[in-house]
Amino acid sequence: MAQGTHGTLPSGAALRVKALESLLEEKGLVDSQALDAIVDAYETQVGPRNGARVVAKAWADPAFRKRLLENATATVAEMGIAGPEGEHMMAVENSPRVHNLIVCTLCSCYPWPMLGLPPVWYKSFAYRSRAVRDPRGLLNDFGLEIPDEVEVRVWDASAEQRYMVIPERPEGTEKMTEDELAELVTRDSMVGVAKIEPPRRRAPAKR
Amino acid sequence: MKPEELLAGTARERGEQVFGAPWEARAFAIARRMTELGLCTWDEFRALLIDEVGKADRARSQAGTANVSPAASPNTSAPGGSASGEAYYTHFLSALERLLAEKGIVGARDIEARMAEIVAPEPESHK
Repeated sequence: MAQGTHGTLPSGAALRVKALESLLEEKGLVDSQALDAIVDAYETQVGPRNGARVVAKAWADPAFRKRLLENATATVAEMGIAGPEGEHMMAVENSPRVHNLIVCTLCSCYPWPMLGLPPVWYKSFAYRSRAVRDPRGLLNDFGLEIPDEVEVRVWDASAEQRYMVIPERPEGTEKMTEDELAELVTRDSMVGVAKIEPPRRRAPAKR
Repeated sequence: MKPEELLAGTARERGEQVFGAPWEARAFAIARRMTELGLCTWDEFRALLIDEVGKADRARSQAGTANVSPAASPNTSAPGGSASGEAYYTHFLSALERLLAEKGIVGARDIEARMAEIVAPEPESHK
């Protein structure tokens, strides 16, 4: 399925897209540079590091956390985090009693400005169907055992709303700075398929 | 923010690929460009994408392959069969083609014709 190599011609989907691009270019609707810029942005700039910064700030700043839970879109815009698929974002918070999981059962909706584009498995039929039918079993597959007394809440992105999870702040991070905290936050924890492990030892200062 | 900080934690840095193949990235960029130009809204595109994904889901449900674990290879883009999300951009491309046809921008026949031109042997073409 990859593009042709060693001078061979593209085939299958690669050929269809090439034909499509060439037709649109003729009509003056797309050009290579504009398309490259879009790809580059989603490969290198829009990513879960933004969400990690938001989580770290929420852990460190109770007033920010409160505003974030009330109106995520407006609150993260203060940090310069905004863009397509981020018009209606909602942050949901994990606690010792509630574990949140996000999914888009119909396609692939995801809070792009916070997390980038979703991983392949997020778009899989297996994930999309099991997140609702058997969330605990699904989380088990990800290596996450949720005790019976903890409620699992599943947030299915609608046509409008995009969700992200604020994971629990691990123990032993009380003295960490926001930047250090942000480095602990993983994409998977903001989807709700992982927890954040406490740091084994204090994170080394910047090398 | 320094560039390396912007890069930190992106899929590329973690060794993951945002797109499984260059054509996937291209299809995504074309769809985004159409909305940037105001030729369609992302919601219009999404409605078609949901339809394409839904068709594939129903076919899969009937085939009884629903219980594949998505976590089996959660952090790779290794081929994992049709239930693993690998086929997503195939649905994406179908939705994009439908959108462009519905908007009267590019028809299916135009695409077929251009594909034939691209693969036609042309001595002068450089490789």
